Amino acid sequence: MPERITVTLTLNGARRSFEVAPGRRLLDLVREDAGLIGAKEGCGAGECGACMVLLDGAPVTSCLVLAASADGHEVVTVEGLARGGALHPFQEAMVTHGGVQCGFCTPGIAVTGAAVLARGGDAADRTRLLAGNLCRCTGYAKVMEALDDAAAKETADAPA
Amino acid sequence: MPRREPRSTRRAAADPGPRTPDPGPLGGRHERPDARAKVAGSTRYVGDLALPGMLHAAAAVAPVASARVAALDTAAARAVDGVEAVLTAAEIPGANLVGVIFPDQPLLVTDRVRMVGDRLALVAARTQEAAWQAARLVKATLEPIPAVHDPVVALAPGGPLVHDGGNLVRTFQVVRGAAGRRRADVVVEALYHVGGQEHAYLEPQGCLAIPEGRSRITIIASCQCPFYVQQAVARVLGLPLAAVRVEQAPTGGGFGGKEDYPSEPAACAAVLAFATGRPVHFVLPREMDMQGSTKRHAMVIRHRWGADRDGRLRFAEVDAVLDAGAYAGISTVVAERANVSAIGPYDVPSVRVTTRIAYTNNLFGGAFRGFGAPQVTWAAEATVDRLARAAGLDPLEFRRRNLLDDRRRRICTGQLLRRPVLTRECLDRAAALAGWDEFHARPRAADAPTREGMGIALALYGCNLHHGGQRLDRSSAVVILQADGSVVVRVGLTEIGQGNLAACQTIAAQALGVDPAAVQVWQPDTTTVADSGPTVASRGAHASGMAILDAVRRLRTRLDPVAAELLGCRREQVELAAGRARVAGAPDRSVAVAEVAVTMSARRIEAIATGWYRSKPRRFDPATGAGEPYEFYAVACHVARVAVDRELGVVRVEEVSAAHDVGRVIHRDALEGQIQGGVVQGAGWATTERLALDHGRLVNPSFTDYLIPTSADAPKINIAIVESDGAGGPFGAKGVGEPALIPAAAAVRNAVVEALGVEIDTLPLTPPAIVAALGDAHPFAWVAMEEEHEHASPETVARGR
Repeated sequence: MPERITVTLTLNGARRSFEVAPGRRLLDLVREDAGLIGAKEGCGAGECGACMVLLDGAPVTSCLVLAASADGHEVVTVEGLARGGALHPFQEAMVTHGGVQCGFCTPGIAVTGAAVLARGGDAADRTRLLAGNLCRCTGYAKVMEALDDAAAKETADAPA
Repeated sequence: MPRREPRSTRRAAADPGPRTPDPGPLGGRHERPDARAKVAGSTRYVGDLALPGMLHAAAAVAPVASARVAALDTAAARAVDGVEAVLTAAEIPGANLVGVIFPDQPLLVTDRVRMVGDRLALVAARTQEAAWQAARLVKATLEPIPAVHDPVVALAPGGPLVHDGGNLVRTFQVVRGAAGRRRADVVVEALYHVGGQEHAYLEPQGCLAIPEGRSRITIIASCQCPFYVQQAVARVLGLPLAAVRVEQAPTGGGFGGKEDYPSEPAACAAVLAFATGRPVHFVLPREMDMQGSTKRHAMVIRHRWGADRDGRLRFAEVDAVLDAGAYAGISTVVAERANVSAIGPYDVPSVRVTTRIAYTNNLFGGAFRGFGAPQVTWAAEATVDRLARAAGLDPLEFRRRNLLDDRRRRICTGQLLRRPVLTRECLDRAAALAGWDEFHARPRAADAPTREGMGIALALYGCNLHHGGQRLDRSSAVVILQADGSVVVRVGLTEIGQGNLAACQTIAAQALGVDPAAVQVWQPDTTTVADSGPTVASRGAHASGMAILDAVRRLRTRLDPVAAELLGCRREQVELAAGRARVAGAPDRSVAVAEVAVTMSARRIEAIATGWYRSKPRRFDPATGAGEPYEFYAVACHVARVAVDRELGVVRVEEVSAAHDVGRVIHRDALEGQIQGGVVQGAGWATTERLALDHGRLVNPSFTDYLIPTSADAPKINIAIVESDGAGGPFGAKGVGEPALIPAAAAVRNAVVEALGVEIDTLPLTPPAIVAALGDAHPFAWVAMEEEHEHASPETVARGR
């Protein structure tokens, strides 16, 4: 097995190449090699969701994804959610609804929430889809309010 | 024992804060100052920090709960590529001690292992992987010593001793009224086994130690109590306090788990940093964090309570044993709170409470939101429901007949509560939100596989530190008026997610009459403010807020004369509001606070002020439990509605209605967030959060096996805020962080008991516990009986065996 391999991916819209060890996790590539510290390591076992990133639009726990397997794919981290310099509507709703407390789970929730919004569905779907992101501070109430609000706005803004 | 509360105490209960001519930001929902950076992922936690030459720490820990250390071989660990240092106890420059109150816990064990996770040696290496690999290669020869894992057994004579002085750490008591069961027509006896809890903050414990030679050191730590970390590091390094600078990093949740424990990783990193002369990063992997850090104390609580046939409580006897685990830590302080909280908010003429703390070879207990009160509340509210049933009364009616109120306001320690005592308001508001009467009027199918139930519980919470900790009950603040009119605030209490930055910002903005956005509150650093005690006991907003108000008062002695000169009025006429200094009674004569700041700067007028707060002295007798354990009290009432699957034993908490007496709202979103988070954390403890210990080892140290609530588990939460002018801290506020959790699990328990019609006396209410409680009433009782042979019973689990 080679000492280092080259991983080329689209990271937050820019094409980037990294030389990594074959066993390197996508989380480490994002945080250490790319310097994007938004994704957090809460458990290292895919249980808490703090390390969520979007892999080709789908939320994945990046602590369980090998960096090499992202070669040729598109990765979006919490830093890449902003649209035209403004926070993603769900991020903005998290701020206005008071859905942020200690903040450690928040980047992962922002990433999953953005994917949930893109997917569509009703409030029950949203609650279920966010269940892979643990939060110990908020009791989820204001997080779900923010997600529901962002979903409602998205629907209202959608072209008829 | 104080017979009469002096009028002055009542009056001065709350410093009402400076006069505020307009509403200001108090009680509003303005954006939390930390929210935007956190949601963007740009806030740097300690795990996000790195320095050139930085090493990574790891600890070699004992895999067994009780043993003699016969030999320790570090040769293989030293040989690992990338390892820079492997340290044993002999290489600690200062004292080998991390015990907070009792000198019973070494940083590194030398002769005796007392719990799983006791540290044997420390490693610093160039990568985290190398550090943990080396730690695993430290070879300890351990000779087993008999262990004890049951706190009740530990207190019986003749068993294994955890420490040479015996297993009884301390006994606390409350004795009030004549003993006995006079005039009690109904007597209830019960034995409760209340399990512990893992904090499960999302950010693991971590710190970064940056040495300056061997003369001084900076620690950046995820913690609630930077001053505790400072003291611990100074002690292990043999340095004066002034040579240890602790800066609190943005902290990803605490719940008490980052009160006492962070001193340990910080001491480890500090010792390694001094030995290597390099920065040392110590971020615990989740499994190590859960296995090694403190837990909520498991308790065994025996009750004998009596009531008369009118449903009035006559006596209450409580015999509680708190499992300290292998080290005392802060168990005595937890027991103090448990001891005086054991009767709840009820008027009982005869009270006997005994709380004993036992050493065992279990993981050691520490601070956890509620601090002993949730356990005794769980038991008290269970017994109150039993007595209500025995007296043939509705649980609400029984409570109404016994609640402390404005007429009966002497708590079990003899202390008189300040008026208003809002127990009835909280009960009525929570019951109304929950639809108690409608729910109970509705017919429920007796043979449905899923049963519904509704339960209620109350808590009387003593705000701020107990009398025994009053020496710590002070706080420091610094307020700096910048030349552009913006304001820097530094306080000694920490933001750990609860909203202390938002609270401090609101309080400072309200007092200075400026927009909250003009105020920047920076996290504590031990070199910028004086020791402010710990961020615990729901005292964050109180202690930091009072110090901020004092600092603003002092700043205004310099600001007001300048404003008066600019306005052409007397300084006494200056009032601050809406970002302007103006003449009282003539609001059109005003000048921007920013302009006053510019003038002060140009004239070189001192623009910095310090503030100080200390709680008023109180009397309390630890021997009898008589006196004033806490300065003032908050009331909380929760009503839970549950659905229980009788076959599977699964409890679903559907809805919790929470009424809280908070004094005054400071920041509404932060307040609601505390209540919602506390309720869900309490519901998790009640139902799924089981610490499964096997011979002192946690066998479920992961989020797959230790189940905290997800978004799909969280109940709907209704909130009623009850405000009053009676007592409290800044602008009349009371703490809410802990009251938010304390009654939740008890309300869930009472709801489950109502749903199933059987008593359940163990927490958590996991499916095996429900099935066991149903006994022969379970649809598949024979399955449960067979499984009994394979699995530990819930009682055993709750006891931590």
